[in-house]
Amino acid sequence: MSRADAPGALLEPGTGYGDLPPAPALRGSLARLLVAELRLVLGRRRNQALLGGLALVPLVLGLVVRLTQDSALRDQGPGFIGEVTGNGLFLVVASVFVCLPFLLPLCIGIASGDAIAGEAATGTLRYLLVVPVGRSRLLLVKAVGALVFAATAVAGIAAVALVTGAAFFGVAPLTLLSGDVVPVGDGLLRVLGVVLYVGLSFIGLVAVGLFFSTLTEVPVGAMAATVVVPVVSTVLDSLPQLSAIHPVLLTHHWFDFAEFLRIEIGWDVLASGLGLQAAWALVFGALAWSRFTTADVTS
Amino acid sequence: MPSTVLPPLSPRARWAVPVVAAVVVAGAVAAPRLAAADSSELPGLTAQELVAAVAEAERTPVSGTVVYTARLGLPSLPIAEVSGADPTALLGGSSTMRVWSDGAERSRVALLGTVSEYSVVHDGPEAWTFSSTSGTATHYVLDAEGQARYEAMAADLADGTLDAPLPAGAPTALPEDLAAQLPDEVLAELAPSVDGSLPTPAAAARAALAAAELSATVEVTGQSTVADRAAYEVVVTPTSDGTLVDRVVLDVDGSTFVPLRVQVWSTQDEAAPALELTFTDVSFAAPSDAVLGFTPPADTQVEEVVVPSSMDRPATAGAPTPGVDVSGTGWDAVATISGVDVPGLLAADPAALVEQVSPLTIGSERAQDLVEQFRPTDEQGRTAVDLDAATLYETLTTEVEGGRLLTSTLLSVLVTDDGRVLVGAVPPQTLLDLA
Amino acid sequence: MTDLRTAARDDPRERVAGSSPAARSATTTEAPPGAFAVATDGLTKRFRSGQVAVDHVDLAVPRGAVYGFLGPNGSGKTTTIRMLLGLVRPTSGQAWVLGHPVPQAAGRVLPHVGALVEGPGFQPYLSGRANLARVDAADATTDPRTLARRTDEALERVGLAAAADKRFRQYSLGMKQRLGLAAALLRPRALLVLDEPTNGLDPQGTREVRHLVRELAADGTTVLVSSHLLTEIEQVCSHIGIMSGGRLVRQGRRTDIADPAQARVEVDTVPAHVVRAAEVLAALGLPEVRVAGDRVGAALGATDPARVTAALVGAGVDVAALAVRRPTLEQVFVELTGEGFDVAR
Repeated sequence: MSRADAPGALLEPGTGYGDLPPAPALRGSLARLLVAELRLVLGRRRNQALLGGLALVPLVLGLVVRLTQDSALRDQGPGFIGEVTGNGLFLVVASVFVCLPFLLPLCIGIASGDAIAGEAATGTLRYLLVVPVGRSRLLLVKAVGALVFAATAVAGIAAVALVTGAAFFGVAPLTLLSGDVVPVGDGLLRVLGVVLYVGLSFIGLVAVGLFFSTLTEVPVGAMAATVVVPVVSTVLDSLPQLSAIHPVLLTHHWFDFAEFLRIEIGWDVLASGLGLQAAWALVFGALAWSRFTTADVTS
Repeated sequence: MPSTVLPPLSPRARWAVPVVAAVVVAGAVAAPRLAAADSSELPGLTAQELVAAVAEAERTPVSGTVVYTARLGLPSLPIAEVSGADPTALLGGSSTMRVWSDGAERSRVALLGTVSEYSVVHDGPEAWTFSSTSGTATHYVLDAEGQARYEAMAADLADGTLDAPLPAGAPTALPEDLAAQLPDEVLAELAPSVDGSLPTPAAAARAALAAAELSATVEVTGQSTVADRAAYEVVVTPTSDGTLVDRVVLDVDGSTFVPLRVQVWSTQDEAAPALELTFTDVSFAAPSDAVLGFTPPADTQVEEVVVPSSMDRPATAGAPTPGVDVSGTGWDAVATISGVDVPGLLAADPAALVEQVSPLTIGSERAQDLVEQFRPTDEQGRTAVDLDAATLYETLTTEVEGGRLLTSTLLSVLVTDDGRVLVGAVPPQTLLDLA
Repeated sequence: MTDLRTAARDDPRERVAGSSPAARSATTTEAPPGAFAVATDGLTKRFRSGQVAVDHVDLAVPRGAVYGFLGPNGSGKTTTIRMLLGLVRPTSGQAWVLGHPVPQAAGRVLPHVGALVEGPGFQPYLSGRANLARVDAADATTDPRTLARRTDEALERVGLAAAADKRFRQYSLGMKQRLGLAAALLRPRALLVLDEPTNGLDPQGTREVRHLVRELAADGTTVLVSSHLLTEIEQVCSHIGIMSGGRLVRQGRRTDIADPAQARVEVDTVPAHVVRAAEVLAALGLPEVRVAGDRVGAALGATDPARVTAALVGAGVDVAALAVRRPTLEQVFVELTGEGFDVAR
């Protein structure tokens, strides 16, 4: 150990610690923490299994549609699943449609509910905080980690679906829900819009998961609570007696990705969907922040 | 670390942050509504002036979103939950539609479902319907005679020798004896009749206004705000006491005079309208050409339907339908269909019943077409509503002396044991008395 | 005193330095001016359940000291340590670490503090080395370019170099504890806070930890080390603080910690002088004079043993031997806490 490294060198004898040399935060330190977090989130086997499982959905769906396209089973299910046989682009939409109600919220709920509670359960939270990492900074990094996981999940499904669909059924001009047909390039853009919108639709859920994650040291509890939220929201959304609260429900605008498949895209509908997500993210992000920056860490 | 430079917030101050966030969100939601509430004053108009203005406004292109809500007081049907965008959804609950019209003979109405759509496109002398759920299209064309007449009319129109026509597909929401009194329905009558046409506020309002003068009082009661636009509010009150219709409220845009909202209030429910059709957002810019036309996808199954020219159509020609007897006039008319084998129909096909009843429904010929969508149109049964007919019948009707009764807030149907079906926008007692 | 005044500048309340007897004894006998690595004033933590885990604790850890923080399980040691590290917010009172108030200035102070809190906590599916890299990535003030060297040094120092690339999950309890120490040593520290560092270690590992603590102290690092097992750390401590029931019941130099009032003087004499010797001791005002064979004993209290010798000699007593006996640390502890060292509540 060199003289300069010796801890004693930090201190001028006799002057106490009042002049403790400030340790300046190095440039890029946030990026460094972010990279470490992403490596942790995406490198974790459980998360890889979740992502892999989701990516299997379009593969299985494509395979099933291909195997049954000449049988009596064809055209069962939502109308556009039948369209898959004629156009691989539709496999992207069909896969997102299949995963959106439950599988995606489940996986994203697990990742975001685990964010803080998981660290608390393994005891790593206290060590990160005494490093020290500012609690706001850690929460931000955790939020980004969960959002990247959500984005990866949606993008993974889309990418596998696009490749599978193109390989099995080819790519053709896209038939919209209105029956009008748009060229391949336009169709690709619209499908990309679907994927983007679906990805952004999970911002609110991630914020809810983060908040629950700050409430407990039991990650399974936070995950379960997070997964329950979209399920309850969907149930409430289906009760006409509650139509007054429908516009503020987390899942109310999830299926509005269909706007990209209508003849004139209802941008105002999409904007209200994203605005709703922003509102949920704002409220639950603020709740998570308040809770996390004031809580005693006793795990 | 910046947090050490700034004095840290106390825990209490930190918990104020989500409260502030919630207030900001609530404010962002409420602000547009408050802003919309202060609408500018419109100049006063009498009902007569308003109707005239509406008539002149026919060429205004319209596009926007329309929400249709039915509170008919029927037992809830498990239909909307299981099917995609389908006109049967209009029977109950709330539906959203997108509407585009060039103000003349081209229009498109799309009924929106969750990742599904049912489209009706009127393009001059032809019309299309397309259901994304079944992936099938139906093409309606005029027969040769009708086509020739249409072209002649269109030429006249271009020359300016004909008054501006109603938009194609305007529902003839009128008793048949009134239809002849309407001068402007020429092209509309020539346009193909489409199964499952979707109602628009403009068309429904015009029909209501035209019908109103014969058996109701019409007055402009004030101003309202619909789809963020200042509108005149017109109330049509039937003069008769014998009908379930309490009043029809119509909101007409203050500057373009395009009808923006129609509400039908029942005498049975003072809290909310039994039927409501309203724009939630509206624009008066001309829709793009792509929206107003339709070409079916290459591999789609297309059903071709030739619509006989209007002169031969019994429903609009005013000829009495065999087996149907109408008593009463105007709002409290009751139709009696005799010789209906109800048990036989139920055993066979629920659609058959609907088909029998359909000429006499809610008041709009096109709306009754909606009811016909009960009929499974597809051999593979894709769009068929898989409900057990007898169960549905049991659910909707109640046992009365001498038959079974269906009551809703706007319509009553009595099926007698001797095979007659009585239908009218009247209280059930009226039907029982007639039977 | 200087240091406490320095610290008091951060505290709006006029703090009376060293108001508790324990703190006063530490400051007056011990501390060079301005040299407390850790100081607390009335530090109290009441949990929401109503349980008072820490009750008006006034810690004073002099700079350069190896401070043994002792107490039975559940006596409030860990909660106190958590408050020093900014993990738990005190209900009342104030703590200063390295001269700065915490948790207010935790971001400034903690880079200079290495900590092992209530057992090691690492991601089970990462290797020891990867875990250290992750902890270091969280540190905004360390240079990633020196990470490999610092990691190797830290692992070497705790004797974990050979197992660095095994998954944490596969580590034994002792290896996990060592990795926790390695994380605390990833960079030079002015203060090390080690909560039960010998937990789970075998006697050999315990000796190594003691050796490590000694080595670090020799480098000038202040070490605050807690344990419920006195014998494991007693030998390396320069100072001792004893917690019981959330209170700091005794604090000071290890050599002074046994209460001087508890010391006894014992005089061996010839049988003929036993009675006279007892009279002399009683005349000096010493209580509890007892005779056992040729030996006369009494509680010494604050009396100077030299005075006792002089008085005995002056009275003509033949003194064969004179001894001052102080109670052991363990006896003090048992007396203060009412229980043994390793009794868990």
